[in-house]
Amino acid sequence: MGAPFDYTYIFSYFPKLLSTLGITLLIVAGSLLVGIIIGFLIALPRLYRIPVLNTLARVYVSFFRGTPILIQLFLFYYGLPEILKLVHIDISKAPVLVFVILTYGLHTGAFMSETIRASVTAVDRGQVEAAYAMGMKGHQAFTRIVLPQALAIAVPVFSNLVIALLKDTSLAFTLGVMEMTGKAETLGALTQHFVEAYISLALIYLVVSFTLEKLLLMAERRLLRHEQPDSTGNRRFRLQRKRGYRRLVAGIESGKGGAEA
Amino acid sequence: MKIDPSFIWTALVQLLSAIPTTLVITAVSVTAGFVIGLITALLRIYKVPVLGQIATGYVTFIRGTPMLTHLLLIYFGLPMLLDALSAQFGWGFKSSSIPMIGFAFISFSITAGAYMAEVIRSGLLAVNRGQLEAAYSVGMTTPQALRRIVFPQALAVSLPNLSNSVIGMLHGSTLAFTVSVVEINAKAQIVASTNWKFFEAYLAAAVIFWGLTLLIERITAVIEKRINLYNRGGVA
Amino acid sequence: MIKLTHISKSFGRHQVLKQIDLTVEKGEVVVILGPSGSGKTTLLRCVNYLEKPSDGEIAIGDYRLSCKHASKKDIHQLRQKSAMVFQQYNLFKHKTALENVMEGLVVVKKLPKEEAKTRSIALLEKVGLGSKLDAYPSQLSGGQQQRVGIARALALEPEVILFDEPTSALDPELVGEVLAVIRKIAKEGITMIVVTHEMGFARDVANHVVFMDGGVIVEEGPPAELFNHPKEERTKQFLKRITPELNYSI
Repeated sequence: MGAPFDYTYIFSYFPKLLSTLGITLLIVAGSLLVGIIIGFLIALPRLYRIPVLNTLARVYVSFFRGTPILIQLFLFYYGLPEILKLVHIDISKAPVLVFVILTYGLHTGAFMSETIRASVTAVDRGQVEAAYAMGMKGHQAFTRIVLPQALAIAVPVFSNLVIALLKDTSLAFTLGVMEMTGKAETLGALTQHFVEAYISLALIYLVVSFTLEKLLLMAERRLLRHEQPDSTGNRRFRLQRKRGYRRLVAGIESGKGGAEA
Repeated sequence: MKIDPSFIWTALVQLLSAIPTTLVITAVSVTAGFVIGLITALLRIYKVPVLGQIATGYVTFIRGTPMLTHLLLIYFGLPMLLDALSAQFGWGFKSSSIPMIGFAFISFSITAGAYMAEVIRSGLLAVNRGQLEAAYSVGMTTPQALRRIVFPQALAVSLPNLSNSVIGMLHGSTLAFTVSVVEINAKAQIVASTNWKFFEAYLAAAVIFWGLTLLIERITAVIEKRINLYNRGGVA
Repeated sequence: MIKLTHISKSFGRHQVLKQIDLTVEKGEVVVILGPSGSGKTTLLRCVNYLEKPSDGEIAIGDYRLSCKHASKKDIHQLRQKSAMVFQQYNLFKHKTALENVMEGLVVVKKLPKEEAKTRSIALLEKVGLGSKLDAYPSQLSGGQQQRVGIARALALEPEVILFDEPTSALDPELVGEVLAVIRKIAKEGITMIVVTHEMGFARDVANHVVFMDGGVIVEEGPPAELFNHPKEERTKQFLKRITPELNYSI
């Protein structure tokens, strides 16, 4: 199968694959944006226990967490135009990328909503009471006290979601989107040096996810600066606490970032 | 083209025949992954020289790259490697004798191993150090303490994460279609290819996966309840 | 002046407060004592509506609120009349000591930032934390956190400050510094309602002591009277249990 192994191909593929990194990142960024909006829309009815909407939100989350992203991709690609045709909207000519971003966005939104919900619930009840006790209104307490703290709690889980999303985008090629995996396949087929192409591909994914993780870790440090020690005297103790904190965060893991894709 | 509700049912019935394949892939990768994960986790926790670093590298690489690339690398790379070795040592073995599903088994086990290593590691680390010390204080050896005290507690802690890993592998098994294994996803494609009713076919596939996922979650909940009952009875 | 009339509160079928009446004069320090589960903390939390009373009337200064028909706006207004110091401090974890004190001034009182800052610094100096302005709660000891909590309450210049067991989460050696601060502000004539187990504090600082049990006020009066000549059997039992040394000091 294929031509004999030649490691020089790995290097020569780097620039070719990197030329499609933009598409991959575009899918990630676009889906994140859609996902965050959907995530909030789905989390709010559940946090405030709004009847009916609450149930709908649960079904939504259950469906998107309960089915493989690959099936969802096909489902929306083939299904959305037909459903919209029923209300006389024709999107069969829309670019594939739109479907891809929409599907990943809806998928990520389900996981995002769980993250948001868990983080908001994880903020100490006493914080809200203190805000109310000093005379803040509901929305002031939420935006000034709960949200900043929830955000800090959510970042590690969010970071996992972003990286899972990056890895999931490798499936977009099944709909013919020429992102990195698709490009690697084409290169492999063209030269019969499949293994070299996929090694090259894997290395790029590795570097990108590593970079994203580091960036998000920096964001987390910044958001959690109130959890950090001021003197070296109690550093040991703080480090321990920080570990405990991260473990707590791991406990509210959205369930994504697992083995899928 | 109109949506044809009756075909959803037709497709669903036809897809049933592919469920065993999906379940076998999931079961094999989860089981092998658990063994790989346990070894990897222990190598990392006990900081075994060289092997510990290799374990860390393995986990980092697998978790930093898509599952699909693992499959493709195994599918194209393994035969090349085996044939080269076979030619060198005159084994008379040909990679073409490996069934397609074998590549899925191997690759998905490697993927699952890395993810489960992290689950197991955090589970083991979550067990209070005092538990181990208490086990030593009653005269247990390290293997005894691990097997009788630490592992059961760690398993209880990591159950939700393990369940998520199983679901992840169930969903991940859909990738096997890229190496021509006919599991549920590939079957849906085949079912639809005769009449182009892709939407209906994938809807049926989604329903099956959804059902299987809910089933796994339900089973997890039952196990969790039993473990907690046991915990309460034993400790409090 | 604060006047609570017929305050009742039930959790499900369990009635925690039964028609409580309590009056606190301006500048008075009222200490509420009682065994756990007596409803004293619930009563305190009803005063600023962290617990919603099932029935009754709350009046702080010239503002009156009937609990049966309280709207969101009413509750918000009522809360601005009081401030609270919590058992678990409840400092805003993502804000520094200074920001914690400023928060209410900027958001609720709508003071300009600079003015809020000057006032907050003065208050933190008053509670002895002038050197910890930029420390986050996680970098402060429990006693220091609680002193920030007191400064935060003082900043709002409320008609009354509610203290909910302000020292019971503290390590014994830190209790003193917090009580000293509370004593200091009590002398300045700030109205306070304090739920506490610190008998010495109640004796020295309170103008009026209330003993609660089973959701009712069993007995109330000046500390000297209540501690030295309790009338009710339940009060005697409680005092005997909680302060055995009292038997000798009489």
